[in-house]
Amino acid sequence: MNFQFSKQFLMMFALIIFSCLSFYPAALYAVDAKEILRKADEARGNAAGIQWEIVIDSIENGHDQHRTLKVAARSFNSLAEFIAPANVKGQKLLMLDRNMWFAKPGLSKAVPISPRQKLIGGAANGDIASTNYAGDYNVVKTSDSSVNGKACYLFDLKAIDNRATYDRIKYWISKERMVGLKAEFYTVSGKMFKTATFEYKNSVTIDDRPREFISKMIITSAIIKDDVTTMYYQKAIVKKIPDSVFNLNLLTK
Amino acid sequence: MHFLADKENHLLIIFLLLIFLGGWYAETAKAGDDKEISASLMQKLTDGFSADLRMLTYGIVQEPANSTQNPNNNFLQLPHYTANLELRPDLRLKMDPLELSAKPRAMLEFNIWQEGSRQGDTQWKSDVYVNEWLARLKARDNLFVSYGRENLQWGPSFLFSPSNPFFQDNGRSNPFLELPGMDFARLVWIPHSSWTTSFIVNTDEGRNMLYGPGPFKIIYALKVDYTGRENYASIILSQKDYKNSLGFFGGWTVSDAVLLYGEGTVTQGSRALYPQRDNTPLGASMQQIHQDDSAIQSILLVGSSYTLEASGTISLEYVYNGPGYNADEAGIYYTVRGRGAAALNMSGLAGSLGQMTLSQTANTGLRFLRNNYVMLQYVQNNIKNKIDIFTRWTQNLDDGSCQASAYVTYSLGNHLELFSLGVINGGSKDTEFGSFLNYQAMIGLKYTL
Repeated sequence: MNFQFSKQFLMMFALIIFSCLSFYPAALYAVDAKEILRKADEARGNAAGIQWEIVIDSIENGHDQHRTLKVAARSFNSLAEFIAPANVKGQKLLMLDRNMWFAKPGLSKAVPISPRQKLIGGAANGDIASTNYAGDYNVVKTSDSSVNGKACYLFDLKAIDNRATYDRIKYWISKERMVGLKAEFYTVSGKMFKTATFEYKNSVTIDDRPREFISKMIITSAIIKDDVTTMYYQKAIVKKIPDSVFNLNLLTK
Repeated sequence: MHFLADKENHLLIIFLLLIFLGGWYAETAKAGDDKEISASLMQKLTDGFSADLRMLTYGIVQEPANSTQNPNNNFLQLPHYTANLELRPDLRLKMDPLELSAKPRAMLEFNIWQEGSRQGDTQWKSDVYVNEWLARLKARDNLFVSYGRENLQWGPSFLFSPSNPFFQDNGRSNPFLELPGMDFARLVWIPHSSWTTSFIVNTDEGRNMLYGPGPFKIIYALKVDYTGRENYASIILSQKDYKNSLGFFGGWTVSDAVLLYGEGTVTQGSRALYPQRDNTPLGASMQQIHQDDSAIQSILLVGSSYTLEASGTISLEYVYNGPGYNADEAGIYYTVRGRGAAALNMSGLAGSLGQMTLSQTANTGLRFLRNNYVMLQYVQNNIKNKIDIFTRWTQNLDDGSCQASAYVTYSLGNHLELFSLGVINGGSKDTEFGSFLNYQAMIGLKYTL
């Protein structure tokens, strides 16, 4: 009886030790994965705050459209002001978490809009804000892959909650440069609806060190291949953005 | 009064000159050689000054309703045709911690009358004015003090904003006409990223036309706003003439596509005019009979928006308008209005009484006359990257009258936009929407520099 008990006890003990040993590298890897994501986010604007200009060229159903926006973003909040062309100049999009308002010159009242309302072409409202994949998404799986012959980590990301712009993302991060090179975006039903590639020809100083910074994002529709939206990021300044910038009461009309 | 108006004009001129000079200096100093002025100041001015110019030209065709409110168009004397040219520059100068802005306006209008006593008349009108201006000082990163002429709007609803004690019209039904500004002093304090407190006082009626009876009265308001992760809510405590009101609004982003919102106000009594049978020559008159009532009156609006996958948004709103007339009051209202209309063309005292009665029935102080309303709206923007459309149906559930309105804008390049708006009112002559216009059509061009 005693012998049997000892055998069971030993087996259980071995199982626990084995489980712990199995989970240990995974737990370590998860930490590393988040760190890699955080580094990649840094190159796409996730800091205490960022201000930049984004030029958007969109081709949708054969119609092309151009917009230039001045964006101030911090965490889940952002204020985008259209500065060109002339006929949309002064329009403003304020996003406070999942609450969004749209204001137009000549109209005294800003109106609430839903997150589903598109910004322009294939760009979602969330695309103009800073990127916080490390905070907004859980890492479901990681593997090795490559983009244009460059070795990459391939992250399978799942949104933590409904605040994130996309439900699921496959994200390729360069092993050498620690920047995102490519992404695929998926709907809740698991269907890929757009892809994106990224370029980093800008540079900013973060913690007194120069850092590669996003200069271009090309979004291609997975359904209509000719629908392409290109976003050029310019004049990026990493700085603390105060709460007053995101305050509806102070939105200058 | 004239002195005050002159003084105000002088202040405005000085204010505008400051903005212009700032902008002019920013442009010329670049080429100049003035070493006295620091490069940083010049840079601040250059960076801080911005200006837009919009020019609108439009024509309006409308048919006045031949109702007891406006018999044969002899009371309101609405023109049948209107042609308008407006210049709308917007000037801004941001020099931290000070921010200045001004919206001077110039307009030229031509009217032709086709109905009523002015049939065949034509008239040119011109005006130059400052519709809005603002001086705002950032006292601290989270504390702002401002004074100026503004059209201050808030709340999520489309039909009207009952929580706003200052303005009855939110400008959503015709976005091509600007709403007039009122003079405000404001203090905005942001103690936390989710919370904002504002103290607001309207110091003068400005260019805003007052609704309802009585002269301009100062309103003091305290507004507290909360913004959560996917919701927001505000309360507005206001006092006018020692009477308190509580306004409120809130919204919830239910999903990517669905918004739910509500807005309302609770007041003690009502300052509006109500019809009352009496021994006056018309047998009834319009009186402020509920002004000192202790009974609570409420206006409640609930609404929801759904954004379709194809990008259009449908909104539905229901309004319970507590201070509005019930069936009995509406009956007396239309009776006294009818008698006023009959007296309008009489000479002497009767004519004056008719004139006064119709003035009161046209401007009762109520945003909506009756108790229950429904609004259905569909908006789709950026169709083929060129077209925005808006359609709205408003139904008075008590008297059966309705209003259908729509507008469309068509982009003709980066600077030019063609726009058109139509409104059709349905209902008999003794109903709310059937009282003023049968229809209105507007077409115009907007050029943005």
